[in-house]
Amino acid sequence: MSNPVLIIGAGVAGMTAAVELADSGIKTILVERQETVGGNALDLYKAFPTDDCFYCFEGNRWRPGIRKCFYRSALTDQPNISLRMNSEIGDISGAPDQFSVKLKVGPGYVNPKKCTMCGLCLEKSEAFRLLSPQCQPQAVVYDPTKADDGAKQAEEECPTKAINLGAQPTEETVQVSDIVIATGYHEMQPVNVDEYNYGKHPNIITQLELAKIIDPIGESGGVPVRPSDGKPAKRVMMVQCVGSRDENYYPYCSKICCIFALKHANILTQERDDVKVSVVYMDIRTYDRYERYYRESRNTGVEFVRGRVSLIEPRKDDTLDITVYDSLLDKYLKFSVDLFVLSSALEPSEGTDKLIETLGIKSTSGFVGMVDPASENEVVVGDHIYACGAALGPAEVPESVTQARAVVSKILQSRK
Amino acid sequence: MAETEESTGPPATLIDPIEMSKLDTKFREEIHSMPNGEELSACFACSTCTAACPIANIWKYKPHQLIRMILLGMRDEVLSSDEIWLCLTCFQCQERCPQKVRVTDIFFDCKNLAAEEGKVPPNIVGLGKELLEKGQLYTVTADWEREDMGLEPDVPGLSVDGLRNILKETRTSKLVDGDK
Ligand SMILES: Cc1cc2nc3c(=O)[nH]c(=O)nc-3n(C[C@H](O)[C@H](O)[C@H](O)COP(=O)(O)OP(=O)(O)OC[C@H]3O[C@@H](n4cnc5c(N)ncnc54)[C@H](O)[C@@H]3O)c2cc1C
Ligand code: SF4
Ligand code: SF4
Ligand code: SF4
Ligand code: SF4
Repeated sequence: MSNPVLIIGAGVAGMTAAVELADSGIKTILVERQETVGGNALDLYKAFPTDDCFYCFEGNRWRPGIRKCFYRSALTDQPNISLRMNSEIGDISGAPDQFSVKLKVGPGYVNPKKCTMCGLCLEKSEAFRLLSPQCQPQAVVYDPTKADDGAKQAEEECPTKAINLGAQPTEETVQVSDIVIATGYHEMQPVNVDEYNYGKHPNIITQLELAKIIDPIGESGGVPVRPSDGKPAKRVMMVQCVGSRDENYYPYCSKICCIFALKHANILTQERDDVKVSVVYMDIRTYDRYERYYRESRNTGVEFVRGRVSLIEPRKDDTLDITVYDSLLDKYLKFSVDLFVLSSALEPSEGTDKLIETLGIKSTSGFVGMVDPASENEVVVGDHIYACGAALGPAEVPESVTQARAVVSKILQSRK
Repeated sequence: MAETEESTGPPATLIDPIEMSKLDTKFREEIHSMPNGEELSACFACSTCTAACPIANIWKYKPHQLIRMILLGMRDEVLSSDEIWLCLTCFQCQERCPQKVRVTDIFFDCKNLAAEEGKVPPNIVGLGKELLEKGQLYTVTADWEREDMGLEPDVPGLSVDGLRNILKETRTSKLVDGDK
């Protein structure tokens, strides 16, 4: 029997690859370094291109028939998938088709097969947290740095005996036939882009931070609020291409930030009360069918200013005075806003460079690069090594899923 | 990044920006609600209209900028601009606009709004006056041309009295009188 397939990263791309391989009878090992699967998509409330809410997917726990299930519920139940949470990849040796990979598996403080999410431990100690109602595995997580007496009590009183505070990290070496890199992206923290003052004022945030604020399951119930005082934000300004298309940071266009900025602008103007949104841009790149978002946002009164920000002046009442050069009018405009949102570049996940080096594969602007850029096999990045989703560069969910399926198809063909 | 007091001293730079809070945010709605304004907000500032315009080269504000100023709420600037009156109403901009913005018609709307506020350039008022008094804008003067062609000196059947009477009751007359 063939060795299993190793999939690194349990975001949308990794989960799709794992479940579809598993459903085809192939054993997979899915390694995720976080405490919950789902990756970046977990923090998004509504998703383009269909504007469906990401959560309904999880609400449907029963897999068959779900139109856009992210396969989360399958991960712990599908016998062909072995999920390694809190885990990282160590040394990789051996030849293609028989790689030997060292896994550093994090301590399993809470057994997801036993936890019923009853909430008892959450009341006993701050060390326990429920990351999100639709987290997968469906279990609370434990942070050992916050250990206290309450945690010990919870360990004793947990009705299902799911807690083991003495759990230790382990190491194991696995033999795998193929490696699928699905390590996704990271939203750049634009602390170094001086002109935007990110990190120096609480009301200057990134799009991913805004996504969390306007999420209905978030603290404010989806009301856009200012981090400085929790008061509703009435005037929001976004600025595009922060760190992207900039030779000082990332030369490429992050491809989807125009779309998600407009998605957010539309949510704010159409579904929230009385919010005014301005977008400062160089080009609006809503490729393909996404032009609809651009037209819709103009219709709903989103204000577009072609130009760049010249000056940000914080006021005592936590508002920001922002002067923008409008290159179409050749005039400077001065706005007063509550929230300033940066559409920051999407960069490779931390550790991607090391993975590329260890595997001896190509890199494209820091992301995983395909073996032959002239070929149409964009998911083939080495001999028995594949990549899918945002690990290959900024991508939306549908594209990530399509690439994951391409990987599955390649692996199935190779095993015929 | 130092905090600024509510009353700032001299600006830190030589930039003297337009205060957005002082603009008329309702202007956009005003134009939008007029018969030609439906597609106003669809404008994405591509400047096709300006590229099409045979005369904008000599204008301070180009057609795409005027539309942009309407969207931003620069009511006074737009309604007192010369450009809306200099427009040849050739409709080239409107024909070509990829977002179906009725540029020329919107400038008509602007002219109507400006006129209501008495913001009509004197030469335009002069034309109105001419029309009221003579019942026509261009009176036949070069009689020799008619003569050369063997025509009688007066245009037969031309009667401007009726028109003059009608015009007296129109807003054109109020505009001209208001100017007196
Ligand atoms: C603000 C914002 C809004 C968006 N809105 C939409 C939208 O509406 N619709 C849409 O289609 N797309 C949207 N996207 C894009 C969407 O987030 C991505 O397409 C999608 O998350 C990509 O999935 P992925 O699995 O490739 O990567 P990720 O979601 O990044 O998942 C990668 C996973 O791999 C793990 N990982 C990384 N490195 C390692 C490692 N070395 N070892 C182990 N695990 C590792 C990570 O922890 C993570 O769980 C948005 C993005 C942003 C920033
Ligand atoms: S007490 Fe036990 S079962 Fe309840 S949420 Fe905590 S770990 Fe899960
Ligand atoms: S998608 Fe838009 S905001 Fe993002 S880098 Fe490209 S042009 Fe800039
Ligand atoms: S052509 Fe139309 S869309 Fe383009 S700038 Fe002019 S009015 Fe706007
Ligand atoms: S209608 Fe007026 S603005 Fe439009 S192209 Fe003609 S002259 Fe220019």
